[in-house]
Amino acid sequence: MAVGVRDDATEEATDEVAGLGAPAKAWRTGVVVVLAVMFCLGSLVGNDHWWPFSPWRMYSTSQAATGSVWSTGIEVQTADAPGEWVPAPLTPPNVGLNRAEVEGRIPQIEADPARLGTLAASHAKLRPDAPEWTALRVVRRLIVVVDRKPTGELRTEVLAEWRAP
Amino acid sequence: MSRLRDWLFTPMPLARVAWLRILVFAFVVIDVLGLHTSGWYHGWADPVWYEPLVMGKVLHLPAASVLLVQVLKWGTVAAALAALTGRAPRLLGWAVAIGWTWYQYVAFAYGKVDHDRADFVVAMALLPTVGLAHLSDRRRSEAAGFALRAVQLAAIATYFLSAWAKVRFGGWDWVNSATMVRAVVRRGTPWAQWLLEVPWTLHWFQWVLFTAELTAPVIFFLSEKWRRRVVGAWFVFHAMTYAAITIAFWPHLVMMLAFLPLEEYAAWLRARFARWRSRGAAPVAEEART
Repeated sequence: MAVGVRDDATEEATDEVAGLGAPAKAWRTGVVVVLAVMFCLGSLVGNDHWWPFSPWRMYSTSQAATGSVWSTGIEVQTADAPGEWVPAPLTPPNVGLNRAEVEGRIPQIEADPARLGTLAASHAKLRPDAPEWTALRVVRRLIVVVDRKPTGELRTEVLAEWRAP
Repeated sequence: MSRLRDWLFTPMPLARVAWLRILVFAFVVIDVLGLHTSGWYHGWADPVWYEPLVMGKVLHLPAASVLLVQVLKWGTVAAALAALTGRAPRLLGWAVAIGWTWYQYVAFAYGKVDHDRADFVVAMALLPTVGLAHLSDRRRSEAAGFALRAVQLAAIATYFLSAWAKVRFGGWDWVNSATMVRAVVRRGTPWAQWLLEVPWTLHWFQWVLFTAELTAPVIFFLSEKWRRRVVGAWFVFHAMTYAAITIAFWPHLVMMLAFLPLEEYAAWLRARFARWRSRGAAPVAEEART
């Protein structure tokens, strides 16, 4: 796979230097300047939609030292056990989307719970052997934090619910 | 100005670019097949969840379909495997760049953008500009120096700009917030739970991280010896983060390797291997007989 590997190769660099002409240097410098401007603009005024020039905001939000950390999940009912809500993994291999993607659309889901039906449809395509989902709801679990320490108090609320027609 | 240009085009070994390319393309194969697969599953998500980014609007990129994600996944892997041979570095390198970037776009256009993958786009776009580079090439070149410098700059900009994002989105008070507590509560590993019992650890860690990120560009003013030590320290930081919350910025870690004399490490490994083979030849032959 690796071409050019010689058994006797010594890796010491020689003094031989391959230079670049002025035009080659000019456009390369131009590219670096454009990239620098785009990345800085993205960080100054851009948002996620600017990717790959979006701001580097991993773990950038402030979390109040006292408050609640919330975590979203889904619960489903299957034809095998109607009326019984069981938690289901909110993961791409299971529903085609991940937790953060669903968390970001809570307002749209609350406005139109029928959207949740598409998750059941994706699940049926991705997991054809699993029992079909007849109902699905989004729940939010709140974990209470006081002085940067979880108290163990847990609250659960249902945000939206869908039933197969 | 001319000093800055000299610095941007400092001649560096072509073999270093060749080794970095191998690591980058091998990483692309691993990444596409195993590490970052949410784009793949978006092929099965309903288009109602598709939220085009600016890039998708400008280039008229469609919502994902099963066919699109199949073509992107296997096309990118095939191009990366071909690029590993070192042949046609521009054509194959840019093919990988387009395939990988589009595949990331598919992953990010459903409402969640990962913030650790953009600098890798720079690496993939600029490494092909060096042209042919052999693993045993003993020359240095200004084109190699430029590509390596650009990758280094992008990697370090990531740290600095993420400190900036903390100020912009979290405010200066970010360092005193409970952000790390939130991270550990949501996705902490069993061996990170004790951190929640001793809240000052995570609080203190936020100060250290923020300071390190803000001062990251200093790395370019250090001596070579200290530069490598700082790169080592960043790797330790990323390993600790992975142990605590199983988050690792994999593409970024590959880019940080652009600071290291990869061709020297390779020569060292090769010499060790040759010695081990010549010394191990006799016992191996013995084993083969039994």
